[in-house]
Amino acid sequence: MSAESAPRAINGRAPDVFRPGGWVRMREYSEDEQVDFAIVGTGAGGGTLACKLAEYGFSVVAFDAGPYWRPLEDFASDEMHQSKLYWTDERIVDGETPLQLGANNSGKSVGGSTVHFAMVSLRFRPEWFKSRSVLGYGADWPLDWREMWDYYTEVEQALKISGPVNYPWGPKRPRYPYRPHELNAAALVLAEGAEALGIDWTPTPLATLSAPRGLAHPCVYRGMCVIGCSTNAKQSVLVTWLPRALNAGAEIRDLAMVGSIEHDAQGLVTGVHYMREGRWRFQKARNVVVAGYSIETPRLLLNSASGKFPEGLANSSGLVGKNLMVQSNQAVWGISEREIRSYKGPPSLAITEHWNYNDEGKDFHGGYAYMSQGPLPIIWGNTESSKRGLWGQPLLDEMEKYNHQVGLKIVGETLPQERNRVTLTDERDQYGLRIPRVTYSFCDNDKRLIDHSLRFMRQALQATDARDIWDEIDDTAHLNGTARMGFDRKSSVVDADCRSWDIRNLWICDGSVFPTVGGVNPSLTIQAIACRTADRILAMSRRGEL
Amino acid sequence: MTERYPGYDVLNKRNSPSWNDQTREVIDARLAIDAQSHRFCDETEWQVLCAVCDQIIPQAAGHLAKVPIAAMIDQKLYTRKGDGYRDARLPEQGEAWRKGLAAINAEATLADGKPFCELTDEQRRAVLVKIQRGDAASPAWEGLPPSLFFVKRLLHDIVTAYYAHPSSWSDIGFGGPASPRGYVRMNFDRRDPWEAAEAAPGREDEARQENEHVG
Amino acid sequence: MTPARSIRRQEASLASLGAMASDLRRRYAAPEVKRGRAWPIATSRREAECRNVAGRQLNLGAALLSLSVLADSGVEHYRGSFQNRAMYVPLGVSALTLAASLFGVADTRERPHVARDSLYGLAAATGAVGVAFHLYNIMKRPAKMSWLNLFYAAPVGAPVALALAGALGRGAEKVRDDRSTRILGHSAGRALGLLTSVGLAGTIAEAGLLHFRGAFQNPGMFLPVTLPPVAAGLLAASVVRPGKMIQRAAKASLKLTALLGVGGVAFHAYGVARQMGGWRNWSQNLLNGPPLPAPPSFTGLALAGLAALSLAYNE
Repeated sequence: MSAESAPRAINGRAPDVFRPGGWVRMREYSEDEQVDFAIVGTGAGGGTLACKLAEYGFSVVAFDAGPYWRPLEDFASDEMHQSKLYWTDERIVDGETPLQLGANNSGKSVGGSTVHFAMVSLRFRPEWFKSRSVLGYGADWPLDWREMWDYYTEVEQALKISGPVNYPWGPKRPRYPYRPHELNAAALVLAEGAEALGIDWTPTPLATLSAPRGLAHPCVYRGMCVIGCSTNAKQSVLVTWLPRALNAGAEIRDLAMVGSIEHDAQGLVTGVHYMREGRWRFQKARNVVVAGYSIETPRLLLNSASGKFPEGLANSSGLVGKNLMVQSNQAVWGISEREIRSYKGPPSLAITEHWNYNDEGKDFHGGYAYMSQGPLPIIWGNTESSKRGLWGQPLLDEMEKYNHQVGLKIVGETLPQERNRVTLTDERDQYGLRIPRVTYSFCDNDKRLIDHSLRFMRQALQATDARDIWDEIDDTAHLNGTARMGFDRKSSVVDADCRSWDIRNLWICDGSVFPTVGGVNPSLTIQAIACRTADRILAMSRRGEL
Repeated sequence: MTERYPGYDVLNKRNSPSWNDQTREVIDARLAIDAQSHRFCDETEWQVLCAVCDQIIPQAAGHLAKVPIAAMIDQKLYTRKGDGYRDARLPEQGEAWRKGLAAINAEATLADGKPFCELTDEQRRAVLVKIQRGDAASPAWEGLPPSLFFVKRLLHDIVTAYYAHPSSWSDIGFGGPASPRGYVRMNFDRRDPWEAAEAAPGREDEARQENEHVG
Repeated sequence: MTPARSIRRQEASLASLGAMASDLRRRYAAPEVKRGRAWPIATSRREAECRNVAGRQLNLGAALLSLSVLADSGVEHYRGSFQNRAMYVPLGVSALTLAASLFGVADTRERPHVARDSLYGLAAATGAVGVAFHLYNIMKRPAKMSWLNLFYAAPVGAPVALALAGALGRGAEKVRDDRSTRILGHSAGRALGLLTSVGLAGTIAEAGLLHFRGAFQNPGMFLPVTLPPVAAGLLAASVVRPGKMIQRAAKASLKLTALLGVGGVAFHAYGVARQMGGWRNWSQNLLNGPPLPAPPSFTGLALAGLAALSLAYNE
């Protein structure tokens, strides 16, 4: 029975992702039983929180619209087939710079987008938590970086991050639990360029194993990380937090699309309506956590609008869905005399955060990191055609140089803008739910950052033997900000504990709570926030404040 | 045009540790696609689609199987398999293709007085360039921005289909499926014995010999 | 014990006028016996046999080391695609050294052999040149001398194993020659004991570095950095300041280290099976997994250490 045709986490058991055909016992809760926490989404936010809350003794049911994969058996080495990992239900995109969704940034799996992510695991620069008061742009987080520093450590340990022995930037951090991976040629080109320009670089801290861990195998350098790791080297939520969650008594319901959140006359949430095995059901819960990532979270809150909450749940500020931030993902590419064969190994084995920690000479606010790349054939074909305009024999001629292609790509900060938002259209999906419209436009600051990065990366590539250098200007990554965290109910949706201002038993715990996005991939920060939120919930519970 | 990876075929590794069961199942299904089968397109649309695919990806006859691009696209449209997002300015993919194929035909008629399939190679190319540049003039493009359709739909779907097929992987020297066996040698100018050997100019035979041993 | 005591009695009787010499001998526990120029002595049969056995044991140690180098450099240079022609050299030299050493083990004549001696010299030189090559390999990469390159560039310590095989082999030859039993100003036992101890330290560092790279994820990975250091320390101590207890402890720990070299191969085989695809994926896992030929270098050094110990206690 394939993971997509029927739920696997039923009848008191869930797939054991470490043993082909194996099962682990799973505690099940009746729908009429009011569980402590119903969590919508099992990704970096929801999966981590499900684990921590279950380990703290709370009763937890976590829902995911996606299938419960067995990576060792279900994953093929094929880009097209593996699109099964992504959110391929229809969404509308518009704005001046419409986003690419689907494979680019949206997962639909138990384990969320971490099943397909590129495993780059970076900490925020401490000042970013006070972007407005310390750096003069964006917004402040209601979190202290020193507290987050400890939570970052917890996550790095939980994922056995493979990272460099010494990290060039930021305050001291504990040694990464596993050692860095060997660099591939593409990463060595980044290193050569960085050294030529006199800036620091480092092997990237990655959530994939450089040595065995339990039953998980170390990386075999097959380079297919973003289409699903078939060896369990990738430390996705699916193979880390969720097995712990199951062990601690959490229930996971796969192929379960939550359509709306129910509330009572007092305005407290009472549970979730979800579609599973062809019919709508309802799970009672004392608390509901929304962790569907930055499009599905606002979509769910808006779709749960009622007479009492006509603008959607937790939306007295009007900010649900607003301040959508992506990260700029522009790149420069070139051709090397040497064989690069960048399809080998994880895509981003080397990185520099120089422009996250150095601000001299910038004509923009914010920062960016850039990293090496290893695109697979379909994504590369699309880059050369859609982004560069090539087709016909010129495309085939250029594609023949595939093994000599090398590039550098940024993860760049964008500013929060209220005009960038997720709203509902009147089109409906296969569940009968209104589908989202995602509106996005870069602002001038974003464009200046992008220009700076393209100029700099071009210099870096030119300092190596790469030639025929061109700019890829149309790309973005990640999604954040649509249910931002803040200091008061007028200017934010949730407080520092991820609790919504409007409804005390409604929480949001995923990337949508970010007030700013920084110049690093968000997954480590999302998981750290989830760990902190679990601790705060435990403390509140003990004080009777839940 | 000499091949860069003479004699290299990723399919030779089908029974090696580079492929797993799931991969074999998936690739077998892809190789079994009937190049003539079309359930979404009607006859006219099909002819235009095939002709357009041949322009975007001119497939020379060689030792590798021809990629059934048009059939793969037809299958995608028939099964309504989406990409997970759609530009607001474009209709959903099936409608976009129907309109677009009809508009391409109309554009051809406008430019050279004949339907697309009756144009010469050069004329066909010229029509597509016009559309890509946004210079398309036919009223058939009403409601479908030609340049946007060309980039986001036409190019995207054709190129995706082509590079989803093992023949294209062999052509560009991609390692192909890789599980459980991945790669060992990742440094510059290094290949594992199960990777494609690149032909140095004038020394194609050496590379061909190496590639015959790939498995 | 008996041969040594009888020698001392003989010498005491010869050196009746050398009361000072006796005093010195009594003061220092280490039986630092002068031979050769000052006192032409007829060497006792047993002592000669003892040195012959020790010599051949050193040959055996060198054999194991060169076998380890042959297999390890073979696999690793194959992994490196013999990019530089010079990468064939250690395979050839270690093969020759292995052959010479096996010959040495079998050869019971109490004489050094010029061919073996030369080959050992070649091995030592090749090892030294290899270190230079490996250092160059590290320094030409981005990050130069860094943890990353220590982990993944050419291993700096590996050619030293070949140099050690050469040095220990030279020691083996020297020890057979009873006309000169001093090496670099020290007695053979002490010199070879210290050399072996240093060799062990280097091997421990190499294993420790790579097990650090593997995050010590399996408790067994602590073995090569805990037991052999004890053996190395005890060996050095017992050839510098001999004593019955310390000799016994050194012997025991060296024997355990020798066993560890064998056990290490089993551990590494488990490690290969542990990787994705296990043995079926041998074409990747024999190269990327833990190196099977590496642990026996501990056995080779341990055997050399035991030989050095017996030499030292016979002197």
